[in-house]
Amino acid sequence: MTRTIVGKEVLANLLSYKFHIVLLLTVVLLLTSFFIMHRDFQNRLADYQVIRPKPGEPIALVPPNPLSILAKGLDEAMGRSFEVGVTGITVRAGQKTGNLIFSFFPAPDFLYVVRVVLSLVALLFGFDQVSREKEDGTLRLMLANNVSRAKILWGKWLGNFLSLAVPFGLVSVLGIAFLALDPGARFSGEQAARIGLILIVTFLYAAFFLSLGILVSTVTRRAASSLVILLFIWALVVFVIPNLGTLLARQAVDVPSVKALSEKRQQVWTREVLLSIEEGRRAGAQEAGRGGWAGHVATINEDIDRLEEDYRVKFDRLVRLSKNINRLSPAASFVYAVTDLAGTGISEELNLKGEVIRYKDSIIHQMISSMALETRAKEYPAFGYRPRSLGSIFAGGALFDAAWLVFFNILFFALSYFAFVRYDVR
Amino acid sequence: MLKTIIRKEIQNNIFSFRFLASLAMLLVIVTVTAFILTNDYLKKIDEFSQRQTEIENYMKSYAHFNRVQNVVRPSLPPLPFLSLIRGISSDVNIDEFDDDPLPVMFPLIDLVFIVTILMSLVALIFAYDSVSGEREDGTLKLMLAGDVSRAGIILGKIIGGVLTLLVPFVFSLAVGLLFIILQPRVAWTGADWASLGLIVVGVFLYIALFYGLGVLISARHRSSASSIMTSLFVWVLLVLVVPNLSPYIASFISSTPSRIKVDRETARITDTERDDLGSRLQKERLQELAKKYPVLAENIPESEVKDRLAADPVFREAWQARRREVQLAWDEANRIQNEKAGKIWRELGRREAAQTEISLYISMISPLSDFTYLATDLSSTGIRNQAHFGQVSSLFWQAYADYSRQKIAALQKRDPSTDWWNTPVDMSDMPRFRYQEEALGGRVKAALPPVGALLGWFVLLFAGAYFSFIRYDVR
Repeated sequence: MTRTIVGKEVLANLLSYKFHIVLLLTVVLLLTSFFIMHRDFQNRLADYQVIRPKPGEPIALVPPNPLSILAKGLDEAMGRSFEVGVTGITVRAGQKTGNLIFSFFPAPDFLYVVRVVLSLVALLFGFDQVSREKEDGTLRLMLANNVSRAKILWGKWLGNFLSLAVPFGLVSVLGIAFLALDPGARFSGEQAARIGLILIVTFLYAAFFLSLGILVSTVTRRAASSLVILLFIWALVVFVIPNLGTLLARQAVDVPSVKALSEKRQQVWTREVLLSIEEGRRAGAQEAGRGGWAGHVATINEDIDRLEEDYRVKFDRLVRLSKNINRLSPAASFVYAVTDLAGTGISEELNLKGEVIRYKDSIIHQMISSMALETRAKEYPAFGYRPRSLGSIFAGGALFDAAWLVFFNILFFALSYFAFVRYDVR
Repeated sequence: MLKTIIRKEIQNNIFSFRFLASLAMLLVIVTVTAFILTNDYLKKIDEFSQRQTEIENYMKSYAHFNRVQNVVRPSLPPLPFLSLIRGISSDVNIDEFDDDPLPVMFPLIDLVFIVTILMSLVALIFAYDSVSGEREDGTLKLMLAGDVSRAGIILGKIIGGVLTLLVPFVFSLAVGLLFIILQPRVAWTGADWASLGLIVVGVFLYIALFYGLGVLISARHRSSASSIMTSLFVWVLLVLVVPNLSPYIASFISSTPSRIKVDRETARITDTERDDLGSRLQKERLQELAKKYPVLAENIPESEVKDRLAADPVFREAWQARRREVQLAWDEANRIQNEKAGKIWRELGRREAAQTEISLYISMISPLSDFTYLATDLSSTGIRNQAHFGQVSSLFWQAYADYSRQKIAALQKRDPSTDWWNTPVDMSDMPRFRYQEEALGGRVKAALPPVGALLGWFVLLFAGAYFSFIRYDVR
């Protein structure tokens, strides 16, 4: 019986105006997004080839991540070149274009299309499932047969999920297959597995909105009011909660601004330069000044390290808190899970920065002492970065986020079941 | 008759579920946003003044001319408007090692977001069944049976609808503004209020435009179920897709060389290539010189040069001329190569500006971008203010350069033997950076093109709605 209902739902969808318009929208958007983000990736790859450090240069640079085509996340920040010098880490090649319009709107990647558009589409599939059939009177007819309400609900859910997920999944896989043709973006086996996981999380996310749609449809009498409620909930979940949560977290955690930090850094520098010149003058000889400068450089490093350490501890706290507040919305969980899986998320960026700092700490003493001796050490060990493994990504929160999405799914499906069992079909 | 229709529309809407739902939603979101942003702004002011005090204290102990310009660098103070609109002055700071990735993941919420995303959605939710819904109910037939023209009906519907839409927005904005008025430390000036007034006019245009779009789509559909689908489809394209795609499309149309490549290229031009050119010029000049001073052609070991200079006046003259020529050769090489590099940078700047302009034009297809540009420029949180800040800063640097030149000259006059460049000096009389917001007139002028685009949309959509309704089959 369930099969019949699923078949009926799929057929009804295939013939509807809604389905055609939705299909058109998703196909056009996905393909445009793949095309554009692929170009963006290629440009970044070309830039990477230009600034790639020569052997022995104390520069930490990671290549752009091919999965950033799907979820750009923080890949641009991670692809900057971190140059280690005697006074710490200098960031180069940060802003790659002077076109300010980029900073107004988020990147139209797969992640964005799913987060914003697929969620809306899933709601549109769910919003009239129960109330429309009641208005049409077909719900009564269905229930007059030998079929349980649970089966009807499940059949409706599955039928709609399939008519949503199958075309979307096909277009996505097709797009990704095209991307894989580019040798620059060729995905490794592990990356293909990551893409698979991203698609699974995507379906979980879409399923949540479908369940939400069906739930609201069973608690409202009219399809029109169901739609109004759903659109408002959608705006809250997708935009308002995650965007407000970060601001809220900032109220609770006192993190100095990046500007304050860079001003302090300049102050330390300038102070030590002056002190060392005065010292040199007092000693009267250039040589004494030279050796003394190395000591000042060490002081600069210690002071700045202390400042940054303090900042990072606070910033970590801010990130944790804002993540937890934002997780009230499944859209935030979805973004965290996908960016973590793609290796472009906040945790990955923090991890990379930690590695860069470790790299700096491992060579800075050699740098300062060779400066004091006025010899130039030419060869430094190369910086190597291994992105976090899937295991540590799962342990670091992605598993929780995925489980959290599953929980939302079960909760909302169960709620709609209870609402539907008591539904007055007349 | 028009009045009756308007009244009917307003009453219809006010008692509807969607009116209550949108009022409740906006009230909560606008109030919470205003509250949080105001607190955030106060925190920013405190932090800013603390930073300024720190710099002043620092200057008392370590002021000197060599490196201190890195400490007194101008920074943009938090503007009072930040308690409503954040603009692009967000705190990502990608040039710093410790950048702030949070706004990249989730752009922060503000009034512009509420208007562009939420209000446009609300407007479509109000408008999608204004024609098709009344047809389904059969009331459209009845209305037309009365003594009223179609033009009157559509006009009444639009006016009534827009007026009711404004109620939840204005009401919730008023509640949000209460926080700002009641908070004595948020000092809004008359110009701030004036620009808020202009922004509200922009909001009115923006809402009316989306309402018109909803009516137009409604008048082209038989059933309201399909008109909502089309409305949402168009909304997604206009609001969520076109703006985000625009800079990427512009970069296809008018590509710019990568800054990283240009950086490498110009570094090469002013370094290794300059060295090659310098050596070549030096060699040429010295060959020329050797004809005049044959003594230079002799290969004198470096250790003997000093003795020879003391002993031989002819050699000394030749040696001085040689030094002059070397200096000239390298000056020449530096000049040529710097000019070459400067030309490349200027060309890059020109092409980036051209690309920005194209992105701007493409994105202005979307009313969302129009409103965003209008609101951020009027509130001094947009592109224009960044340029303005750059200008104000360069004025400060000029004043600073004048000050340091005069100060050093005065100090040197008093004590010529000291290296004043590297000695602590009392710089308490140095010019301070004071940020002055651009005058309202300039900001209004900047907001005119987006307003024009919004008006254009507005006229187009209303004409479309009117003509579609005239031909609408009401049965």
